[in-house]
Amino acid sequence: MKTFAELDFPGRLIAVEGLDGSGKSTQIYLLKRWLELQGLKVYFSEWNSSELVKAATSKGKKRELLTPTTFSLIHATDFADRYERHLVPLLRAGYIVLCDRYIFTAFARDVVRGCPPEWVRGLYNFAALPDLTFFFKSDLEVSLKRILDGRAQLKYFEAGMDLRLSPDPYESFRIFQGRILEQYLAMSTESNFLVIDANQLVEQQQAVVRELVTQRLRLAEFRRAERPPSKPPAEACKKSKEEASIP
Amino acid sequence: MKTAVKNQIVVPHKTERRFYGHGIPGVDLEQLAGKLIVVEGADGSGRSTQIAKLVGWLEGTGHATVQVGLKRSTLVSEELEQAQQGNILSRTTLSLFYATDFADQLENMILPALKAGFIVLADRYIYTLMARDLVRGMDEAWLKNLYGVALEPDAVFYLNVPPEELVQRTFAKNAALDYWESGMDLGLSRDLFDSFMKYQITMQKTFRHLQTTYGFTIVDGLRSADAINADLQKKISAVLAGK
Repeated sequence: MKTFAELDFPGRLIAVEGLDGSGKSTQIYLLKRWLELQGLKVYFSEWNSSELVKAATSKGKKRELLTPTTFSLIHATDFADRYERHLVPLLRAGYIVLCDRYIFTAFARDVVRGCPPEWVRGLYNFAALPDLTFFFKSDLEVSLKRILDGRAQLKYFEAGMDLRLSPDPYESFRIFQGRILEQYLAMSTESNFLVIDANQLVEQQQAVVRELVTQRLRLAEFRRAERPPSKPPAEACKKSKEEASIP
Repeated sequence: MKTAVKNQIVVPHKTERRFYGHGIPGVDLEQLAGKLIVVEGADGSGRSTQIAKLVGWLEGTGHATVQVGLKRSTLVSEELEQAQQGNILSRTTLSLFYATDFADQLENMILPALKAGFIVLADRYIYTLMARDLVRGMDEAWLKNLYGVALEPDAVFYLNVPPEELVQRTFAKNAALDYWESGMDLGLSRDLFDSFMKYQITMQKTFRHLQTTYGFTIVDGLRSADAINADLQKKISAVLAGK
């Protein structure tokens, strides 16, 4: 598997990974704002957010219809939809694409749910690797506290209740997240994770993230064109009309 | 004496089971006492007619049956239909969506029914899904891994009907060719009829290719429905008897 840079895409993909409550979503949001304020071409994509697939996923989750296999497949479907429809075209157009969770989330979660690792990796082998992957490494207790403080109740699949680890959702969540952390740590080196200490303050983490992005990407290359693109599209439109009229 | 023979019910012979690949986690194959029979073939090849006849025959001979097919899962069938109508999903996505639908039915219908000792009649299985994707340029190794979740059936019958005949049967029933069954998304031809013929020929070639791997039985679908069914009954009887 190759990164987008290795595949000669003009765009670059930055992914964040980590446990629920590791603060990765906050960090990628701040990164996005920083890049946007510099006038760069940025696109943000979130795990499990493709419109059509989402309807099926939430139905499956609400009615507890999902098994480890269908859980894995439906998330792969969601990923493929975003990948083929948004990520690849935008990367072809020279965008910096920011992903809140990428294939490693599936590798960690699905394997904890009991899916064979080679099968899960095979499902996702159509996807290129991120150019940068930030892994927000927090102590399990810190993540748990963040999640539990923010929410009164844990969701069924989020707590890994389908795995029957414990009848108590909080205990189940603890065990489940602990196992996911193990999976992440196991692939950290081979997947070139840039490990960020997520026990630090928000600002401290963001400073490290911005520093690494500046070092690794030539940000000036992703600047939005200044010229107002009013003329070319009008011509293009006319041309396509002419083409369409050819019998 | 004659009635006694007629009432003799054959208890299906137990055979060794396996998944094509990694399979479904946590399934005890030993417990799957039922039989899985798959009928494959293009639209208009007579699959549903044959399955209806088989159900009658099997129930008459004392076997409980369950029918499954593609795009019938509780989980995603509605969304899948919607996506297809709009033609909005790209290839890998559609492929994974179909696989989700398949896996949902496998786990929630097929495996429980087999565990309960039913004879499961599947109107199409992974082969159609794989053939459709292969024709559209998807990677075969990727598909094999994906559908490694599938249970190997006890018998697979492919109803072989040439495209010229399929087109006649389709017109007799609907007077219209289906967009997807004509492979219009492939851009083989702007002419629907032309595209249908080309697409069906390509699909048949692909099935023949898959046959070399999965070894299903090719059945001549040009005979009368009863003649075909008699043939299938004979073959299924042999499967039940463990031959």
